[in-house]
Amino acid sequence: MATRILPLELIDKAIGSQMWILLRGTKEVVGTLRGFDDYVNLVLDDAVEYTPDPDDKTKVIKTKLETEILLNGNQIAILIPNGSGPPEDSLAAQSG
Amino acid sequence: MSDPTPTDSNKESTAKKRSPSDFLKSVLGRPVRVKLNSGIEYRGVLACLDGYLNIAMEQTEEFGLDGQLKAKYGDCFIRGNNVLYISAQKRKGGS
Repeated sequence: MATRILPLELIDKAIGSQMWILLRGTKEVVGTLRGFDDYVNLVLDDAVEYTPDPDDKTKVIKTKLETEILLNGNQIAILIPNGSGPPEDSLAAQSG
Repeated sequence: MSDPTPTDSNKESTAKKRSPSDFLKSVLGRPVRVKLNSGIEYRGVLACLDGYLNIAMEQTEEFGLDGQLKAKYGDCFIRGNNVLYISAQKRKGGS
């Protein structure tokens, strides 16, 4: 019988490594995962926020947050362990 | 509804390194930046907060989407459902 892995176990294994997070809407965040809780609120280090430029939607604004952050789990759509961020600075929700 | 973070009475087994509740305890009374879903940012001293991420701040400054200072408030209350993230402001001390 195949061993089952719970979703939260997968996140737990990713603690200490980089995580690419797609939020509801178009925002994306990349950071080093320090911890999380049952609601998948995340504590991230060295987080970088990617948002579409309000003036030119094809451009991406990259903001380094420089400190530890607590990201609200309510806004999280997809977690990608070891993800290094949007390729070519194009946001997933905007491509295709 | 929405997203209460576990409180002390709700000890979660998953948290090993630095759980969200650890973070919240460590930033109490310190200068923080709070970003809302709308993109508006509030900077000030974190007076108190709860598991819903409802926040009371002092010496609050409001920054618009363009990063320009829009307003200042002595005290302000932010309802937790609007909060995208809370960030400790600058200096990494205590983390």
